[in-house]
Amino acid sequence: MIGMPASRIWNRVFTALAMAVLAYAVLAPLSSLDVLQSLGMPLLTDKLWFRLATITAMFVVMASAWNIIGGLTGYAAFGNVAFFGIGAYTVGMLITKARWPFLLALPLAPAAAAVFAVLIGLPLLRLRGHYFAVASLGVGVAVGELVQNVDFRGEPLFGGASGLFLPILAVPNRDLYFFYLMLAAAAVAIGVTWAVLRSRFGYGLIAIRENEEAAAVIGVNTTAYKVAAFALAATLTGLAGGVFAQWNVFVDQENSFPIGYNVEMILMALLGGTGTVFGPAAGAVVLQLLIQFLSGSLPITLQIPFVPDDAMPVLAQVVLGVLLMLVVVFAPRGVIDFFGGRSTLSIAYLRRSLRETSV
Amino acid sequence: MTSVDPQLELKNVTKRFGGVAAVDDVTFAIGKGEILGVIGPNGAGKTTLLNCISGVYRLDGGDVRWQGESIAGLAPFRVARLGIGRTFQIVKPFTSMTVRENVVAGALFGSDEDRPRLGAAFGRADGVLELVGLRSKADLPVSAMTIPDRKRLEVARAVATRPKLLLLDEVMAGLNPVEIDDALEMVRAVHQSGVTVVLIEHVMRVIVGVCARVVVLDVGRMLADGPPDVVLRDERVIQAYLGERYARRLRGS
Repeated sequence: MIGMPASRIWNRVFTALAMAVLAYAVLAPLSSLDVLQSLGMPLLTDKLWFRLATITAMFVVMASAWNIIGGLTGYAAFGNVAFFGIGAYTVGMLITKARWPFLLALPLAPAAAAVFAVLIGLPLLRLRGHYFAVASLGVGVAVGELVQNVDFRGEPLFGGASGLFLPILAVPNRDLYFFYLMLAAAAVAIGVTWAVLRSRFGYGLIAIRENEEAAAVIGVNTTAYKVAAFALAATLTGLAGGVFAQWNVFVDQENSFPIGYNVEMILMALLGGTGTVFGPAAGAVVLQLLIQFLSGSLPITLQIPFVPDDAMPVLAQVVLGVLLMLVVVFAPRGVIDFFGGRSTLSIAYLRRSLRETSV
Repeated sequence: MTSVDPQLELKNVTKRFGGVAAVDDVTFAIGKGEILGVIGPNGAGKTTLLNCISGVYRLDGGDVRWQGESIAGLAPFRVARLGIGRTFQIVKPFTSMTVRENVVAGALFGSDEDRPRLGAAFGRADGVLELVGLRSKADLPVSAMTIPDRKRLEVARAVATRPKLLLLDEVMAGLNPVEIDDALEMVRAVHQSGVTVVLIEHVMRVIVGVCARVVVLDVGRMLADGPPDVVLRDERVIQAYLGERYARRLRGS
């Protein structure tokens, strides 16, 4: 490593760190297996660990999925939570009303979300810039309200305000099961992004992001490509929602259509680096841990003088807001830009970014 | 002067914006292998005409026929897939990509015939970069390119789409005389590779140097169609370009 530029050393350090975190996340849960427990293996993961890790993996899926429409295609979708909710409710409905087994219901969650994305994408993706952002936000809010309020013959069709209670899945070691399922969804989301970036489809999406008119005249079917990207993002987000429904055993408007997820998944992608393969995933892990830390859910908690404990979640929101502003203004290409060996974090970098992002 | 076997035919093409006819009843044809110049002063409707051909605008009247079939009303990407490439007067590169990646994007899409896979597209792109003289700058980001090079890149990306007909919108505008000579060389090379070329230009000199036939537009109407030496002696052309007084003086002498 002697003589290597500092940025490349850092690059290696962070790659090694990321690999270590990944290895820990994949292997540590195994310590909860009965076989290893009976052999005297110390328990590395408790209920809380599984809860946090599964949520983090869920956000890796959502941030990576958002990256496909927002990062690669350049369409800032603010309503992707609709796909999450549709996925969750698809599984919820099929299991509670139609008595389907979970693993049969799960594939229909991404399918339902994708169909919905095609239907709303066709009109919505004709809009550009903030018009699209606002319209998609509207869809995200509207779907949640519809799901809660639609009645059929005087009965709430989708469980109404009381939500849907799913039977607990009879598998040994449920925590481990759902964590690995969500982790697999995250791996699929990252793998899909990787494959898209190495395909004709990916070149088409980036061409649309960079200049839609130029993309059209070189022969990119821009409408079809945008709708396909939106549907792909919806598929992955819907998958996360489907896994969430059975894991959480309860779905309602509040936990399946939280408007805050829209902002969080975008912030994660931005923080890590939009348009990259691993950026959104890295952003999701870092930000989710930060959110949990600030809101006091981690074993290590933060004590700030004069701030009462119950005010910490509010403070977490404030920190997120400030972070979003700083990232957008000073590091528009995300934190991952510093680890590819392309740029180094310096005052000059921040000043250049500020110039680029200023009107 | 219509060719025997027209590749592209414009029949009474009309495009209005509000009450103004930006292109008004324009009719001419382009033969396969031709290199045709379209000239006219600012606001003559040159770019509008090009947008009518490439599907960016819908026609308000008339028809555009490609190899005998109407392409009026087709979306721009469909026109590109038929083998009609174009550039933009104000260049529109994919800025986050390198020079080579821009051209690869062109190669991956474009004409339906002979579409390469991703790996082969890189080879094609290098061939095109060689043709337009950007081979040595293939790995540069677009942001590091000068204006003349960006214009070259615009042409390279269009050439990579394997067009049978290439519509070049003022690729020489804003270049100095030396750069124009280089660009002319590039246009000739593209033409000689077997592409029909329509060269839209503001600068008379460019057209004379490379085109065997010129169409002149003024306020949306077609003023003249013929070899450059004939067209440039046409009094109406002189009047449109150089003004009434100059035309009168020319008549007087």
